[in-house]
Amino acid sequence: MEYKDYYAALGVEKTASQDEIKKAYRKLVRQYHPDVSKHKDATEKTKEINEAYEVLGDAEKRAAYDELGQGRRAGQEFTPPPDWGTQFDFGGADANDFFSDLFAHAGRRSGRGGARGFGGAGGGGGFQMRGEDIHAAIAIDLRDAYQGASRTISLRVPQHDEQGRVTMQDKTLSVNIPKGVTPGQQLRLARQGHPGAGGGGPGDLYLEIQLEPDARYRVEGTHVYENVPVAPWEAALGASVSVPTPSGAVEVTIPPGSQSGRKLRLKGRGIPAKEPGDLYLILDVVLPPASTERAKELYQQMARDLAFNPRERIGA
Amino acid sequence: MVNNNSLSGVLLDDVALTLDELARAVEVEPDWVVRHVRAGTLGGETTVQITSWRFRSGDLVRARRLLRVERDFDANEDLAGLVVDLGDEIRRLRARLHALGLD
Repeated sequence: MEYKDYYAALGVEKTASQDEIKKAYRKLVRQYHPDVSKHKDATEKTKEINEAYEVLGDAEKRAAYDELGQGRRAGQEFTPPPDWGTQFDFGGADANDFFSDLFAHAGRRSGRGGARGFGGAGGGGGFQMRGEDIHAAIAIDLRDAYQGASRTISLRVPQHDEQGRVTMQDKTLSVNIPKGVTPGQQLRLARQGHPGAGGGGPGDLYLEIQLEPDARYRVEGTHVYENVPVAPWEAALGASVSVPTPSGAVEVTIPPGSQSGRKLRLKGRGIPAKEPGDLYLILDVVLPPASTERAKELYQQMARDLAFNPRERIGA
Repeated sequence: MVNNNSLSGVLLDDVALTLDELARAVEVEPDWVVRHVRAGTLGGETTVQITSWRFRSGDLVRARRLLRVERDFDANEDLAGLVVDLGDEIRRLRARLHALGLD
């Protein structure tokens, strides 16, 4: 595995106090928070900062990390010594981070329970502890939300071997996504979380539904929005046009006198959740190019015959 | 070792979480959830009786955000609630702009 420099991630010296680490973390969290940051890589950067602080913000974890990291540089390949880490017991951390990999390689036992915090949950002596829940996200297409889908996901999860040691292993799951899911919903997969300790059952896996960006459709809750280009005469005179939608093509009546931005609601044609959303078609009047003599002539004729002032409302 | 299984989950909006299940999923003590529900920062649609509280997708997402703010900034539940509300509002407005093609 590659060594990760958590001190560099937080921009602090290795000698920084816990208070300095906390201050640096808070500053970076504010700077890169995905809700406020304009940085393109804000989400990735936030993840990196959080992972670093999970370790350096906890004195015991930091001590373990420091012991291993002496003289190492970020990106350097290394394998922890086989007996390393046995004096530490942090329970399970997030499944995919560098630190949890370290402790899995060290072969420590897992056993963090439902309470927040680390430590004190070793797996022996008749002590029984349910495994941790895992939280992850799964990205699907809008069409999958309409029709349901099956997706294969890979997770790194701790597994007990025959000697009761824990190693991080890749686990591949084929997950059925039900029809009608919306972004932000949580899909709970029972007993697919971290293994329990002392005979305790495994935790659950929670998958947050996310939608892949779509060039044509936009989603807000269960409602779906789609821009529909129309010709000026279709907007002005009304027309019946064929429009592709996530649930198939539909014939839509454009009312006469429509303008760009007019919204047509197709009730119940949004995401088919328990309470189905609506599909909104936003008309987008597209002008034919005046690229031929005949086209120019037609535009000139309209200018002469229609006496149309598009700036009347602004007093021009 | 690779395990191949085909699994169907349940949506939390169909089968909601109990108080203990939500606490476990967020890795907090149930008291933390009770405190937030009583402060009005979590579980707006839950009922008065603790034994019948049920939590859905939005509650789980919100609880994890609240915990993050509390832990990262030593915030109390009211301040954490305000920060999460503001974040929710930003996300809602951005989604609205995006839906209307204005972003």
